[in-house]
Amino acid sequence: MTFRLTCPVCGKRDIYEFTFGGQERGPRPEQEGLSAEEHFRWTQFRMIPCEPQEEWWYHAQGCGVWFRSTRDPGTNLEVEGAADE
Amino acid sequence: MTVKPSFNWLRLRRLWRPAPVRRHYDVVIIGGGIHGLATAYYLARTHGIHDVAVLESHYIGFGGSGRNTAIVRANQRTPENVRLYDEGLKLWRTLTGELDFNLMFFNCGTLMLGHSEAAVDGYRMLASTHNLLGVKSELVDPQQCAELIPGLDISDRPAFPIQAGLYHPPGGVVRHDAVVWGLAKGAAAHGVHIHQGCEVQGIDTDGNRVTGVRTSLGTIRCNRLGIMAGGYGAAVAAMLGIELPIHPLTIQAMVTHPLKPFLHHVFSSGAYHVYANQTLKGEIATGAHMDPQVNYTNDATAYYLKHQAEALVDLMPVLRGVRFMRIWAGLADMTPDMAPIMEGHLGYDHLYLDAGWGYFGFKSGPVAGKYMADYMATGERPEILEAFQLKRFLEGRYSGETAAVMKYGHWD
Amino acid sequence: MSEAPPARGNPPPGRLPPGPTCQVDFSRPLDFTFLGRGVRGFAGDTVASALFGAGVRTFGRSLKYHRPRGLYSMEGESSNTFMAIDGVPNECAETTALRAGMSVRAQNVRGDPRTDFFGLIDPFDRLMPAGFYYRLFHRPYGFWPLFQNGLRRMAGTGVLDPQRDHVRDGLRAERYMNAEVAIVGGGAAGMSTALAAAESGLRVCLFERRPWLGGHLAWRVRDFEGQPLYRRAEALARRLRAAENVKVFTNSPVTGVWGENLVTGFTIGAEDDPFRECHWECRAKTVVVAAGCMDRPLVFNHNDRPGVMQAGAAWRLARTHAVRPGWAAVFSVADDLSLEAAVDLADLGVEVRGVADAREAGRQDPAVVAALEERGIPLLPGWAVSRAMGRRRVRACELRPLDGGGSSHFQCDLLVANGGMQPRIGVLASAKAKLSYCTHTHTYQPAELPPGVFAAGSMTGLRDPRSIEASGRLAGCRAADLAGGAASARRTDTARRDADALPGPVAGCDIRHGPGIGRGAKAFVDLDEDGTYKNVKESAAQGFDVPELAKRFGGFGLGPGQYRVTGQNLAMIMADLRGDPVETATPTTVRPPLAPPSLATLAGPGHDVHKRTPLHAEQAAQGAVFRRAGPWQRARYFSDDVTCRAEIRNVRNNVGILDSSPLGKFRIFGPDALNALQRVYISDMRKTRPGRCKYSAMCNDMGHLLDDGVIVEEGDNDYYFTTSSGRAGATVEWFRFHTRHDGWDYNLVNLTDVLGSLNIAGPNARKVLQRVTADDVSNEAFRYMACRRITVGDGVRARCLRLGFVGELSYELHVPSSYSRYLWDLLMEAGDDLGIQPFGLEAQYCLRAEKGHIIIGAESEARVTLTDIGMGWMWDRHDTASKKVGAPALRACEKQPGRMKLVGFRVDEGQGTPRDGALVVDGAEIVGYVCTTRRSEALGWQYGMALVRDGNAANGATLSLQEEQKPGERATFSATVTSPHFYDPKGTRLRA
Repeated sequence: MTFRLTCPVCGKRDIYEFTFGGQERGPRPEQEGLSAEEHFRWTQFRMIPCEPQEEWWYHAQGCGVWFRSTRDPGTNLEVEGAADE
Repeated sequence: MTVKPSFNWLRLRRLWRPAPVRRHYDVVIIGGGIHGLATAYYLARTHGIHDVAVLESHYIGFGGSGRNTAIVRANQRTPENVRLYDEGLKLWRTLTGELDFNLMFFNCGTLMLGHSEAAVDGYRMLASTHNLLGVKSELVDPQQCAELIPGLDISDRPAFPIQAGLYHPPGGVVRHDAVVWGLAKGAAAHGVHIHQGCEVQGIDTDGNRVTGVRTSLGTIRCNRLGIMAGGYGAAVAAMLGIELPIHPLTIQAMVTHPLKPFLHHVFSSGAYHVYANQTLKGEIATGAHMDPQVNYTNDATAYYLKHQAEALVDLMPVLRGVRFMRIWAGLADMTPDMAPIMEGHLGYDHLYLDAGWGYFGFKSGPVAGKYMADYMATGERPEILEAFQLKRFLEGRYSGETAAVMKYGHWD
Repeated sequence: MSEAPPARGNPPPGRLPPGPTCQVDFSRPLDFTFLGRGVRGFAGDTVASALFGAGVRTFGRSLKYHRPRGLYSMEGESSNTFMAIDGVPNECAETTALRAGMSVRAQNVRGDPRTDFFGLIDPFDRLMPAGFYYRLFHRPYGFWPLFQNGLRRMAGTGVLDPQRDHVRDGLRAERYMNAEVAIVGGGAAGMSTALAAAESGLRVCLFERRPWLGGHLAWRVRDFEGQPLYRRAEALARRLRAAENVKVFTNSPVTGVWGENLVTGFTIGAEDDPFRECHWECRAKTVVVAAGCMDRPLVFNHNDRPGVMQAGAAWRLARTHAVRPGWAAVFSVADDLSLEAAVDLADLGVEVRGVADAREAGRQDPAVVAALEERGIPLLPGWAVSRAMGRRRVRACELRPLDGGGSSHFQCDLLVANGGMQPRIGVLASAKAKLSYCTHTHTYQPAELPPGVFAAGSMTGLRDPRSIEASGRLAGCRAADLAGGAASARRTDTARRDADALPGPVAGCDIRHGPGIGRGAKAFVDLDEDGTYKNVKESAAQGFDVPELAKRFGGFGLGPGQYRVTGQNLAMIMADLRGDPVETATPTTVRPPLAPPSLATLAGPGHDVHKRTPLHAEQAAQGAVFRRAGPWQRARYFSDDVTCRAEIRNVRNNVGILDSSPLGKFRIFGPDALNALQRVYISDMRKTRPGRCKYSAMCNDMGHLLDDGVIVEEGDNDYYFTTSSGRAGATVEWFRFHTRHDGWDYNLVNLTDVLGSLNIAGPNARKVLQRVTADDVSNEAFRYMACRRITVGDGVRARCLRLGFVGELSYELHVPSSYSRYLWDLLMEAGDDLGIQPFGLEAQYCLRAEKGHIIIGAESEARVTLTDIGMGWMWDRHDTASKKVGAPALRACEKQPGRMKLVGFRVDEGQGTPRDGALVVDGAEIVGYVCTTRRSEALGWQYGMALVRDGNAANGATLSLQEEQKPGERATFSATVTSPHFYDPKGTRLRA
């Protein structure tokens, strides 16, 4: 599968132009009172079922924007319309 | 059969028989790959636990077990890993005898190529580590590399000229499918049930116990559950709401048209993201780097076919006229430190996880199965698995299997 | 439209008179050699057609049994006719265009394939049931390596000599295209598709693997609607060539249709093309697959003998290449097209002695039956061939009724056999179409097509030329509508109605194998790896009774022919053996590439993409040895001496100059610039001051050191900062990633390539600098860690940073890249009498290590955090508000026992020299390793830095080092832990 991703600036481009930035997990947690385990869980532990998830992508060989995209790890395909949010 | 059974190898019998699905087993193992089958085999053979079922959603060996490039070696970076893989390497021969099935271990040695001063320093550390632990390994110069692998370009022309190599004679290649079939044969002979086409759809729990598995063949109850589903391990764990530091990534491999033998060792290069060997059939089997995004597909890409050709012909221009015949992809369940997670009582009593092998799952299969069987049989973690606990990630203590520091997550 | 066929010259004896569909030009002879003997072929020949025309019948030997093999499909569907051409192994003789001067050799045989010593193996197949090697050869285990080497030698086909370059000359090109409609297949359907799609004004690309268009119409002379079929194809091709928005690629096999309709393939250059081969990728909105059909091989006893051919092969030899496929032929086929071939070959002078048709009587096209009758050719409906006779080639065959009964023998030298036609499913399968068995056509048909993918033409079971064209038109309209062409619902509706009104898919035949299969004879399911019907049964008997497992166990469809010859037959036979209905047959996975591209073609021109600094030539002139460092080529040494003693000495005693241009250089400004710095840097970035360099570092979330550099405040929320060269490319990405939720307003500009950087270091550095600037650079005016704008030479403005990475008085000058050479010359001239000399990365590496300055990756790794390597002093531990990247990890790991720590050490005197990578051991246990160690001339002793477990890291502790210096020779050393600040620990030289 050689698929494409929709960059909000450049449109549909080949996947290999992008850097994958992992699942969207919300803003960085507050560090005051953050336990070591909470931090390391937030940093590394993920649940990745076979269903669409919101992800971060960076258009490294293009415009250099970080954006969110919804993609299904079960199919490797972007879920339509996700880029218009 | 018209064949007269005059010799043993001519006696054609089913290697394993399909068994009826029982509603309860003492042990259920999810995943009919090398790890799951090996665990079942050792549970039955060593521990006398015969009430075992292996559940496989496709056919045995469908996943990483049948998709790897079959390279085996024990030249890892940390002592904990070297110890484990060294034992694994010695198992091929033992298992061939035990299973009475030729696993076709081609003990040809592996050569890792270094393309920078830093890589050479790293190899010096590896060679010293291996030899101290009794594993043969030696630093060789470019000239020796070319003697081992005729056709390597050791001049200054390539983008990454070869500076040195790490030659590891005990390594080699094993026929991956044979390992799957041999283990299935051995496990079934000890009473293990292998259920193919049995897709796991959910896991039932009761308090702190796992009670059973909901599958496409109905619910199967069990006392002990092992998740040994290779690249799909994280997805199975997700059914229990368990988060893991694992990212499943596609890794691709390809073979060329068959050639008469000329490549007598495995070689690999980190700078080019290439590893290659010549199979018994004569094809050059070669693998590539991983796709960056998490996914559970087995999709190959046009990009890597081209990328691999570019890398191979830069390293070894004599391959320019050779043709690629087939490309495929498999999953590598990557952890941040590229070392596996072998854990017991994971959130639930007698829930066992053997995952996160990345692209080392084949070479480690039987030995991981052996110790996971010990773990599952006794409930006590074997000493050799101390280094592979999940908690290291929660303490910020990575195994040193890879020196490289990641940026964001395990995918980079 | 010219009516007369073009002049084609006179054919030599043994070849047929060229007809109107002949592609061979007998006026252009091409001489080549086969096994060293001269052979003459002609322009338009493939290697195989030329050889066959010259009387060659045995093309090679089979893999396992070394049986003679001949020309089989003319499409390269098996490795039967793989040959070494000009030393390139595994070239497909059936499809490779002949060129003058080629040297052709047979494979898997020494010399002439007509005689082969290993042919003696053939009768011993009983000892080699499917998968026998898994159950043999491992007892006693000691013998296994012997057997293994024997197996290896017998396997493989082509020979690759690693001492020579195995590729034919000529340029490898690359082409990347976009199209709204991509069409695979240039037959009647593909061409009709293209014409229909082109009417919408879209960009259309059509890919055809053969050198010409027309598909199977291209060699058919049968009259249809008042003209021969090939004329129909010619007319379509002419219209196509005239369409401006259609790009036609012939000689262009498709290697795959990948995700979101990326079509890839390669074009084999014709004589007048500027390239030998061209790899291309076409990103298409829609893909229409009109790949046509091929003969489904018939599995029967000795179906591999030279002289057994697929119908398409025999027909095309005669019609396309004017080669007589045989004198006396027998057909065992199962479709009307093959019957037409029998009629046509008879008209060309081949004596067709009998035609068996696996379909029962009444299912044949009456017109073809009448034509056979007219020519006195006996048709045997419900019959098929049961065996081919003759050892080296076909001499006779035996036909039998499929429902039992007596046999008939025929003498023949050509046995045309197939089980009907099967679609070329590869392209559809690679596009992830779901295929299922169709009980009407008895072929695999798409049950579900992916978005934007359409199928058309004969592969969907159509045979009537009008239906084929109409299906193409319809597909073209639908594709164009979807791809955003000037959509016309009416046009598409008309096309659909036209298609529906014409004859639909023709019923096929489900014959699995010839009658009386087995019985002591080999019937091949797979020609590449000699997989027989018996082997399929044996695989099933051992439990491998689904095609996907049998494929792996018995090796069916794993050779060069892949799924093409084997796929459908294996599945049908396996369904039969299991007693399942035929529609349960599922194809084995089709894996790209669908046609095998050479590595040279895939690799393309192979440009080595890297960056050079503006001073590359200057350094090269000084004898620099370059090494790849990230994207850059950088000077590592300036002599053959890898210890760089002279370079180091010169920096310590005089002054050295280093091209540090790849250093990351950035400007960040805007209201939230400080916030962003606070997030990614581990120090308190509020403590920057104008004119001062602040040294700090970036960590990842695990507290690992990622980058270090200096930050200079240049204005209100306006900063200039440097990063290590390795991180320059990832810095913007990093900043933006870690501030992506904050909505901060800042601009970050990467100035790395815009600004060159030169570093002068050594006790004479100030003297050199003074000579090129009028600004005051005295120690009082310009102190250590200061940053000034100065003017050098004829008015070049430079940022000048007084830093001390190598431990000496040193200045880093950042100027616009275009001034780098000017500045280099200026400094070299000014420093000439002060001993200025360039130094490279290795010298810098040693100099900084003597000073105890770390390099990321050399003295840090995934097991250690910033604090572990002694740089925790940078960390602003009280700041939680900025949510610094890595701070929580540092806090968690700071006091953890059992971590590795970075220590300095001094190797005790009177020992050898340990090197980087030596181990630190404690008894039998490995407790760490040496990162960097060198003997220092300045210090007079060997220093080093090591990562060791905390228990062994105390100052003054003794380290035991071990290194495998030569294989089997372990050297041990002792060393003492010290502070890593070996050289000038007080930093007086930096501040001088």
